[in-house]
Amino acid sequence: MRLIWTNIVAIYRKELQSYFASPLAYAIAGIFWLLSGFFFVIILLGPQGYISLAAQADLQAQQIGVPAPPIDVAYEFLRAFLGIMSSLALFVLPILSMGLYAEERKRGTLELLATSPVTNWAVAVGKLLGVLTFFIAMILPLLAYQVIALSAANPPVPPAVPLLGHLGLILLAASVLSLGMFISSLTDSTLLAAVLTFALILFLWVIDTVARAFSGSMGEALGHLSLLRHFNNLVQGIFDTGSIVVFASYIFLGIFLTAQSIDALRFQRS
Amino acid sequence: MKSIARRNHKYWKYLFWLGPILFVAGLTAGLVSNNWEPVPLGLIIAGVVVTGLWLIFSANQNRWWSRRSTQAGTNALIATLSVLALLGLINFLAVRYPVRRDFTEAQLFTLAPQSQQLVRNLSQPVNVWIFDRNQDQQDRELLENYRRQNPQFSFEYVDPQVQRGLAEKFGVKQFGEVYLEAGQQRRLVQVVNNEQRLSEVRLTNSIQQVISDRTAKVYFLQGHGELPVTAEQGGLSQALTALGERNYTTEPLNLIQQSKIPQDATMIVVASPKQALFPPEVKALTDYLNSGGSLLLMIDPNTNPGLDSLLKSWGVALDNRIVIDPAGASIGFGPAVPVVDTYGEHPITQDFNNGISFYSEARSIELSEVAGVQATPLLITNPQTWAESNLQGEQLQFNPETDVQGPLTIGAALSRQVNNQESQEARLVVFGDSNFAVDGLFEQQLNGDVFLNSVGWLSKQDEETLSIRPREPRNRRINLAAQQANVLGLTALLLIPLIGFASAVFLWWRRR
Repeated sequence: MRLIWTNIVAIYRKELQSYFASPLAYAIAGIFWLLSGFFFVIILLGPQGYISLAAQADLQAQQIGVPAPPIDVAYEFLRAFLGIMSSLALFVLPILSMGLYAEERKRGTLELLATSPVTNWAVAVGKLLGVLTFFIAMILPLLAYQVIALSAANPPVPPAVPLLGHLGLILLAASVLSLGMFISSLTDSTLLAAVLTFALILFLWVIDTVARAFSGSMGEALGHLSLLRHFNNLVQGIFDTGSIVVFASYIFLGIFLTAQSIDALRFQRS
Repeated sequence: MKSIARRNHKYWKYLFWLGPILFVAGLTAGLVSNNWEPVPLGLIIAGVVVTGLWLIFSANQNRWWSRRSTQAGTNALIATLSVLALLGLINFLAVRYPVRRDFTEAQLFTLAPQSQQLVRNLSQPVNVWIFDRNQDQQDRELLENYRRQNPQFSFEYVDPQVQRGLAEKFGVKQFGEVYLEAGQQRRLVQVVNNEQRLSEVRLTNSIQQVISDRTAKVYFLQGHGELPVTAEQGGLSQALTALGERNYTTEPLNLIQQSKIPQDATMIVVASPKQALFPPEVKALTDYLNSGGSLLLMIDPNTNPGLDSLLKSWGVALDNRIVIDPAGASIGFGPAVPVVDTYGEHPITQDFNNGISFYSEARSIELSEVAGVQATPLLITNPQTWAESNLQGEQLQFNPETDVQGPLTIGAALSRQVNNQESQEARLVVFGDSNFAVDGLFEQQLNGDVFLNSVGWLSKQDEETLSIRPREPRNRRINLAAQQANVLGLTALLLIPLIGFASAVFLWWRRR
């Protein structure tokens, strides 16, 4: 057990090192920061942003003399921003996960990995943790902006809902990365891995819409697969064990399938 | 011989592509028609059979099952299938026995305790039908919150253009109508659109009303030439049918045969009597009102129902002049049809906004203040109207000496606390017209709603409604100083992305 843990940590460190020394990773992060920063400014500070909309509503209410309906600017902003972040992640995450195994296949190091004494499980978990850590590092600056903005809220914002929303984002990212890792293990083309992952995630994203065409338990079961639905639950501030279990299932399934696919490789070669 | 067989195999092989094709065709046919028997099912079975044959065939061809990789592959397949089954089971259990907590400050996504209790105690299936093409996320979440309380509650979205039969059964007139169905009963909850989303207050109250056994009984006074309640020219049959759909029972009442108002009366309607009521009848009505009853009066011009003493105690006087409306003439109704688009602030008219209703040959009503009586004008004509005293004249013209300039009131709602019982209230609605509710005109514009809402208010159904406060978010602002906002904007748009790009360029350059 201890040995497996050391193995996981070793793989994790190796992965992290490769990310933080890779120009491509920084370029991806740069683009992500630019886009998310742009949306942050538009949603919060822009002329159609929540701050100025609320100010307009207040002004109008003063002129008419009727109190305006209450607006929770912080809550609305958080929901909109995390919603945009999840859509951005939809594009960024397949790019992050595409090289996890495909790159090793291309370089021919996958055989070494497959036949090494480290179990396939440990490799998959280590790789996933590595790429997830990189994604979390990518959203850290955005967290800082949000803390600055929310600290100016009056009355102050209780931390439960923002924390739950970000937990949702991280769980979503972990699910997508885990499935992307599996797809990456199937091919030696990083491009193909990214495209396939994107397609799969898009499908799991919109399956809710498909599910609405069905009634009864069939529709419910399909809708339950939707990533968007469970993400929205958490972002709105609803903690539902069903949602957490779905994300955990996706993460587990990705790791399991990756390990299986590398296992199959071992037998194909022998 | 062998070569012929092999050549045949070569082409036979392609036949097996039919397997997946048949399967997909069956699946598609089933999904599109939403009917799985017999053709789609047959196609699917044929597809599965052909695919199975292909498996057997190809197994014979190259004997793959004895290889080691196949065994490993089978193991992997079994392991994968069992993991999928396991995950499915875990998810099923997690959905079946959910732990759910709402962390929003105002509990935005939690039903009010009244709603929760009501839905939990449902003993019969209650279904909500939403006749709309778009499924709003917010509405769905609210409905799912109801469903989570009790599986007896269910909801379904219906596209009224696709499922016409169903839409016709409910009498759907526009997109967004929400109906509640329990057993034989159906009722309209509200119309949802972008401005107005599904409201918990309305839904819970509708459920409460649908499942309560109590039906309101409306008596229609007869015996003085009142409007007939049967389907005939100038009858009230459409109004009665509409009342029936809303869970009211209706019955004629003759106060000559029985001198007292029946005990089970929720309200009495006196619709356009042509002759005066007898004094004992007026007394019976007065007593009924004084004991907390409800009365709806629809009194046409040029008739005297003999109710002056009753009306006087409420501060109501009936003007005998006919209301003339030049606007009514201009839109083709004729000058004696006032068109009303201004309504008083009252539960009866609160949803009317600027919708129109019209009243053929109406008299105006004058309200005077009486201590303890709360009077609200309901129907207010436009300022161009006047009350005409001389209908025999050559030309209809406003004569300041004998006529009264508008705006005039042609309908009013009044209420008064009953002295001996504090919680009880006597309610009275008076219209200076009865034509708006007769067959043919009842369904025009808002005419029917004026009548039905009046009956609703008089039957005091609003008292039964549960008082649920709508959930409102906390009122919160973010007060960023201009300088703070600028720094934040620049950091987000320039500084941080630049750091990312600079690091990328630096690493790339160093690697070279």
